[in-house]
Amino acid sequence: MTSAKHKARSTPSQTFLSKTFHWINIISLILMITSGLQIYNANPVFGGREGWHFPDFMLLGGWLGGGRNWHFTAMWLFSLNLLWYGLYIFVTRRWQRRFADGGDLKALQVSQNPKRKNYAWHRLVYTAIIPVLLLAILSGLAMYKPAQLHWLSGLFGSWQTLRTVHFITVPTVILFTIAHSLLALKVGSIRLVKSMFL
Amino acid sequence: MSLILPKRTLSRRQLLQLSGLSGVGFLLGGCGTNLFSDNLRQISEPLNQSLEALLLSQKPVPEFPVSAIEVDKLLINTFDFTPQIDPAQFRLKIDGEVSNPMQLSMGDIQKLPLASMVIRHVCVEGWAAIVQWGGVRLRDLVALVQPKSNVRYVYFKSADGYYESWDLASAVHPQTLMAYQKNGQPLSADNGAPMRLASPIKLGYKQSKWVTQITFVSNLLPLKGYWEDQGYEWFAGL
Repeated sequence: MTSAKHKARSTPSQTFLSKTFHWINIISLILMITSGLQIYNANPVFGGREGWHFPDFMLLGGWLGGGRNWHFTAMWLFSLNLLWYGLYIFVTRRWQRRFADGGDLKALQVSQNPKRKNYAWHRLVYTAIIPVLLLAILSGLAMYKPAQLHWLSGLFGSWQTLRTVHFITVPTVILFTIAHSLLALKVGSIRLVKSMFL
Repeated sequence: MSLILPKRTLSRRQLLQLSGLSGVGFLLGGCGTNLFSDNLRQISEPLNQSLEALLLSQKPVPEFPVSAIEVDKLLINTFDFTPQIDPAQFRLKIDGEVSNPMQLSMGDIQKLPLASMVIRHVCVEGWAAIVQWGGVRLRDLVALVQPKSNVRYVYFKSADGYYESWDLASAVHPQTLMAYQKNGQPLSADNGAPMRLASPIKLGYKQSKWVTQITFVSNLLPLKGYWEDQGYEWFAGL
């Protein structure tokens, strides 16, 4: 949201860097999820080889080896994008202004203004996805290098728990995408959505 | 300090191009993408492998207690058939750029110190099993045959035609074994009897079963490994 002191209705705008992060994040997540499901299908987390498999149209890479090549290439795009964005919001102190804070939590509890409440929900939801994405990286590293990063793998308990935690990223990101889109439309209509994509 | 750049907007055309890009993932899933993922591999494999080589340490990976062994979880994978090898006839040939090439019988091998470890065996498919392996350390065999100073890689040939190559540093890791026992029992034919590779620091497809020949070389050959030549990563470090 831009400062609305002088204008009755401000046009929402996003910085170039925020839009770049958002675009790369969407593209890299699509690559990570589709190649990840390709790997999943080699031995489903739930049920092993006899378990349910994802249909072909959701998969990237053509076979396990191709899926792994995509996954372990796109991981750099995904994690480095998140890293520079983290530095960016830290250096510009955007993390103090652009993410959910105590004011939003208070608004959710006591505010009588439905617009303020929607806005608080919106900020809360997009803030909450960040730890989910970080957990995806940590659980992914723990599975990728369980011997050299044994201290990290050990935090997740069993291998099955580790695989489950890593996989949970997929439904979480899909549910997030739906909630985040609906809340963005509710809070700022299509103008807000356009401000992030265009 | 501000990193905010001048405001820029994307044209409708650029948006369409970008949204096309994000759809590429879904489109590529269906058709023959091996060609494209092989191109990707050429970009990311050198980067990922140098990271893995950097992470590799000669310190033993922490092991699991015997009570943690998962007897049923170790699945059997082979690329072709299961050779039946008579242990009395079996000879392990060790050759290549070494000072003392040799052929060892199972008796010779079992006279060498027995190393045992309880480690996690991780398959490229995503499953894992905690297994006990017993056998001779590959580094003990290396000490016997004395590779020349220019040796950097080790090839493993198996009785079923499977072949693999390893970097020397991983081969002489203290937990890289030529195993002839699993979970306290003699190795079964399904698991690679009479002798197989076992190590906590490499994915399962690097851990050749039914190994009959170990060859030390200074350079990798065009054929690097059965699955690597189909598109799996060569280093496959854990």
